[in-house]
Amino acid sequence: MRLSDLIGALDISAFPQIALVIFLITFGALCVRLFRTGSRSDADRASLLPLQDDAPTPKDTTR
Amino acid sequence: MASSDLASHSSGSALPTAGTAHGGGPLERFTYDDDIVRKFATATMVWGAVAMLVGILVALQMVAPIAARWEAFGTYPLAFLDILATTEIISFGRLRPLHTNAAIFAFAGNAIFAAMYYSTQRLCKARMFSDVLSRLHFWGWQFIIVCAAITLPLGITQSKEYAELEWPVDLAIAVVWVGFFGVNFFGTLARRRERHMYVALWFYIATIVTVAILHVFNNLVVPVTATKSYSVYAGVQDAFMQWWYGHNAVAFFLTTPFLGLMYYFLPKAADRPVYSYRLSIVHFWSIVFLYIWAGPHHLHYTALPGWASSLGMVFSLMLWMPSWGGMINGLLTLRGAWNKVAADPILKFFVVGITFYGMSTFEGPMLSIKSVNALSHYTDWTIAHVHAGALGWNGFMTFGMLYWLMPRLFQTQLWSRRLMAAHFWVGTIGILLYIVPIYWAGITQGLMWRAFDETGRLQFPDFVETLVALMPMYWIRVLGGLLFFGGMIMCGINAIMTWRNRPAVYETPEHQAPALAPEFTDDPMPESRLTANTDFGRAVDAKYIQGWFHRVWERKPLRFTVFTIIAVAVASLFEIIPTFLIRTNVPTIASVQPYTPLELAGRDIYVSEGCYNCHSQMIRPIWAETKRYGEYSKAGEFIYDHPFQWGSRRIGPDLAREGGRQSHDWHVRHFEDPRQLIPQSIMPSYTHLLRDDLDFGAIQGKVDAMAMLGVPYGAAIDSASQMAVEQATQIADDLVKQGGYEFYYENGDISDLDPAERERYRLRNKKVIALVAYLQRLGTDISKPAPTPAD
Repeated sequence: MRLSDLIGALDISAFPQIALVIFLITFGALCVRLFRTGSRSDADRASLLPLQDDAPTPKDTTR
Repeated sequence: MASSDLASHSSGSALPTAGTAHGGGPLERFTYDDDIVRKFATATMVWGAVAMLVGILVALQMVAPIAARWEAFGTYPLAFLDILATTEIISFGRLRPLHTNAAIFAFAGNAIFAAMYYSTQRLCKARMFSDVLSRLHFWGWQFIIVCAAITLPLGITQSKEYAELEWPVDLAIAVVWVGFFGVNFFGTLARRRERHMYVALWFYIATIVTVAILHVFNNLVVPVTATKSYSVYAGVQDAFMQWWYGHNAVAFFLTTPFLGLMYYFLPKAADRPVYSYRLSIVHFWSIVFLYIWAGPHHLHYTALPGWASSLGMVFSLMLWMPSWGGMINGLLTLRGAWNKVAADPILKFFVVGITFYGMSTFEGPMLSIKSVNALSHYTDWTIAHVHAGALGWNGFMTFGMLYWLMPRLFQTQLWSRRLMAAHFWVGTIGILLYIVPIYWAGITQGLMWRAFDETGRLQFPDFVETLVALMPMYWIRVLGGLLFFGGMIMCGINAIMTWRNRPAVYETPEHQAPALAPEFTDDPMPESRLTANTDFGRAVDAKYIQGWFHRVWERKPLRFTVFTIIAVAVASLFEIIPTFLIRTNVPTIASVQPYTPLELAGRDIYVSEGCYNCHSQMIRPIWAETKRYGEYSKAGEFIYDHPFQWGSRRIGPDLAREGGRQSHDWHVRHFEDPRQLIPQSIMPSYTHLLRDDLDFGAIQGKVDAMAMLGVPYGAAIDSASQMAVEQATQIADDLVKQGGYEFYYENGDISDLDPAERERYRLRNKKVIALVAYLQRLGTDISKPAPTPAD
């Protein structure tokens, strides 16, 4: 039996559905992780990282 | 909501702190390498100008042949434009890949490298891992671009869109991308002094690993010579791999790194944190997970199996939401700061760029709906769509970043703020003048192709009618392109003048941060909030529902990268494995045979001239198409097509059933000058094909390479060149019988030459004969009887 026979015997129409389920589980887990109470302070701390790299900002960058 | 109230973010959270406070290692001093950012930023501007200039040239080539024949007061004032349609090395089919490659890999490529090298160092509080690797990356990448600029006009191409470069250059890309850039980037992550990886870095990680995977798998080839190779995939499978690559090149070269750029530089320019960091996490994982599935929407109604096409459409539609999540996140970062936007051209560039991201990511899902795609595919609608993305999103995000960087990199004031503001307006008007008429052109041509008159016949049976109607729109596009290019020049002038005011020696400020302790104890897993439950339930609550696991990931580059690869690979496996392994997806057709050696050589000329840039070879099962071009294309017809030549745009008619439609003589004269047969044609002249000798000796090598790929060549394996000479002689004889050329001699009367000299001009030995052999074969196999086993 060849691999292509094996794969060919699968019901292709299930593939998109399996994919969708995997995505929804991932998405659900992500949302739970992010939007449960108390995650905001972590996120807020992280969101400040670009502003904390003490890059020298030219005093007057424009004219 | 999310973060303007930062001061009050203590909000009673019992979560432990993550971030700088944790390091605990000794305080270290370090500097950033801004020289490499200056190099990439400069290259961005130089190659941007080149890419846009080539874009203007190809836009002019659309109008040049007709404009050159425009008569005013007995003269032809635009006759000089004819050079664009008659010069071999700048013919449209060779120049268009140069334009796309330059725009994507040279302009946008150098821009994302500038963004990554600037922001990664600062987000990691670490200098790049290796200055040597940084320079090898920079110069290696510029070398690759120069190789592209040389090989593409010479007709050295794999013919897969945005993957045209031949295999030696592909190897160089893999080395530079993975060996220099990848090692340098991940080395920097490993040495970072900031425990948390900011979301921009995630987008960079996804970019690096996914582009590497896409590049390797789409470019698997069997080399014939140093400048020629055949894709290991054929027909449907090659098309599938190409658009899996092609779409994700858009996703992971033109979207994710620019989102990383947005998440870093927009907060910097606006001096406020991103609207919602949590939304950016949703944005990231949804984009990474969904994009990789969407490729098949480039192949709706083709011979690709229907299930793959539907799958691509559904995932494309889903992409709309996370994309708009990203757009909203970007725009809302500016809430309460719109007064700054009104005053600061940098923020204007970002706002317009993000708005174009939103428009393009709405339009993309819409175009992937099959019934919309039936109209839009093969038309200029796609061209307008990609330019809204490339000029609006990639271009304006790049300009915003460049202007923000200029005073910082050159450590002086920006030379002219007014010029920057003028660039913004000139660029914006340029984009609109480009895309609006091209949308119009696309829909016009799509509707003309499918228009029937009251008797049920095609209303515009001559393809050229549907093209001539677009000429006014094409002229407006040239104007739009000129304006956008003008903006690029203004940016370059501003950069040069700012650079001239730089200090004699750049300051290299020293920074301090504690090293990350080698032994890092993760924040303790939180207590479960559940009381009456099993141990398992409490563990799930603490680890997953309270999100402890993801915070751990966010500081582990290796694990993070592995999960990104899994997200990308899942889709690829679910889509690719069935496409390759289910034989019913590509039903074979008994009468479809391999190309003869001469036809194969002709096919290579077709590939080399970039004919696929204007001519599709894929008739969709749509009434207007089968009426115009003949029986729709079947998957089994392409099993020997290494690589596939389905095309993506019809600037000329489809050629899938071209075989036998015209005489040999018609084809030869059409190549000599298309306008002597179709006065309004905009196809370039290919007189060099009538002049250049075909290398019959090289054909054996081509056949051998094909045989290696499993193409059943039979007798041709030993005598390919001989068979090619015989077929060429036959075609040349038929050509003379049709009243065509025996010799092609432009400098007078051939009979003045002595017989030996004359042979040099004999058409039988010329490239055009091989190309005619190929064209006359196209699409004819399915109407032939199946060969008997004795054959």
